[in-house]
Amino acid sequence: MDHRDLEDDQEQPAPVHPAFAHHSEAELARILSYYQVRWLYEPDTFPIGWSLDGDVVESFSPDFFLPDLDLYVELTTLKQTLVRKKNRKLRRLRELYPDVRIKLFYARDFRMLLLKFGRLGLLDELSGTLGQATPPREPVAAAPGPADAVELVAAAVEETAAAEADGGRAGRGRRRGRRRRSAARSVAHLPVDAASFAGPAPA
Amino acid sequence: MSRPVDLVNDIGEVLLTEEQIAARVAELGRRISADYAEKNLTLVSVLKGSLPFMADLMRQITLPLRIDLMEVSSYGGTATESSGLVRIIKDLSASISGEDVLLVEDIIDTGLTLNYLVRYLRGKNPASLKICTLLDKPARRLVEIPVDYQGFEIPDQFVVGYGLDYSERYRNLRFVGVLRPEVYSSPA
Repeated sequence: MDHRDLEDDQEQPAPVHPAFAHHSEAELARILSYYQVRWLYEPDTFPIGWSLDGDVVESFSPDFFLPDLDLYVELTTLKQTLVRKKNRKLRRLRELYPDVRIKLFYARDFRMLLLKFGRLGLLDELSGTLGQATPPREPVAAAPGPADAVELVAAAVEETAAAEADGGRAGRGRRRGRRRRSAARSVAHLPVDAASFAGPAPA
Repeated sequence: MSRPVDLVNDIGEVLLTEEQIAARVAELGRRISADYAEKNLTLVSVLKGSLPFMADLMRQITLPLRIDLMEVSSYGGTATESSGLVRIIKDLSASISGEDVLLVEDIIDTGLTLNYLVRYLRGKNPASLKICTLLDKPARRLVEIPVDYQGFEIPDQFVVGYGLDYSERYRNLRFVGVLRPEVYSSPA
C-alpha cells in the first residue's frame, strides 16, 4: 500500500452511518472507521434459545462484525453489576457457536478507550441510559473499503430469501443452531454503492 | 489541562521501576542482536511515546542498524482529525524496501494504531516486518497482531511515564506508573 493510495482513499465520499441504537456504538464506529477497520453494524442474529416446538425464543445480535478480523464486538456501557444478562447470552452464544469469535466491550473498556483518546468528557453522554438515544443519521467517515461487506449483504439477502421461501416450522428447524443474518438491517445500514467505501484492502 | 500536574503525587503506583525497564530493554537488545545478525535492520519508532524506549533499545543492540521515525494522528486529536481518518503526520524519511524492519512501540492495547501501521509498512515492501513493544496490554486487544518482542505484559490500568503521556504530560518520568483516577476524572 502506498501512502498516496491512503491519501486518495481518504478523499472518497463518506457513506451514511446506520442509525445506531446507542451513542456509544456510534462513537465506536467512528473510532473503527478512523483506524480504517471495516465494520458492519448488527449484521447477524444468532438464535440462542428455542421453545419445545423449535421456535426461536431468544437471540443475540452482536453490535458489530469486523470482517477483516472475523470478529464480533458487543459493546455495553451498563455498569458491571447490570451486565449479568448480557454475559449469560454471551456464554450461551459461545456454547452454541464455538467458532464465532466475539469480544465484549464493557463500560470499563469503553471508558479506558475514551481516556486513551482524551475524550473522557464524552463519557457521560455516551454511557448507560443517557446514551440510549438514536442519533440522527449523519454522514461521517467511511468504514473503509468493505467491498466484501456488499457481498455479505448480498449473501444475507439471498439466505433470508431462501429461508422465507422455505417458510414455516420446517425452515425454523433447519435454522436451529445456525447464525442468521438479519438482512434487512444490514441492507439498511450499509451504503449500497460499493464505490462509496473508501480505503485500502487489508494487506 | 487546568489541573496542575504533579509528577510525584499524580502517580498512584510505580508499575515498573527504572531498573526493571533497563534490565528488560537490555535483554530485548540481546535477543534482537542475535536474531538480526547478518540482516539489514531498520528500527522504526512511532512518535511520541516510543522515543525513550527507542533511544534505550537501539543502544542495547550490537549490530549496525538504521532508525526512522513515524508519527500518526490519534483519534480525538486536533485538526488532523477533520477527515475522520487516521493520517500520517510524519512519514518515513527513507525507503524500507528490502530492509528487515522492526517496529518499535511503547504500548499495544487495542491494536488499532498498530494494525494501521503494519498495513502501511507492509505496503513499503520490507524484507521482513516484526513488532517490538515495551508494554503489552492484551486485555484490551481488539485487533490481534502477533507481537515478536514484548517487554512487559501489564494489567488494564492507565499508565504514564517513560514516554507514555496523559494530555501530553508525564512522558519524562523515568519509570512507568499508574495514573491516579482522580487526575483524569478532574475537569480538563
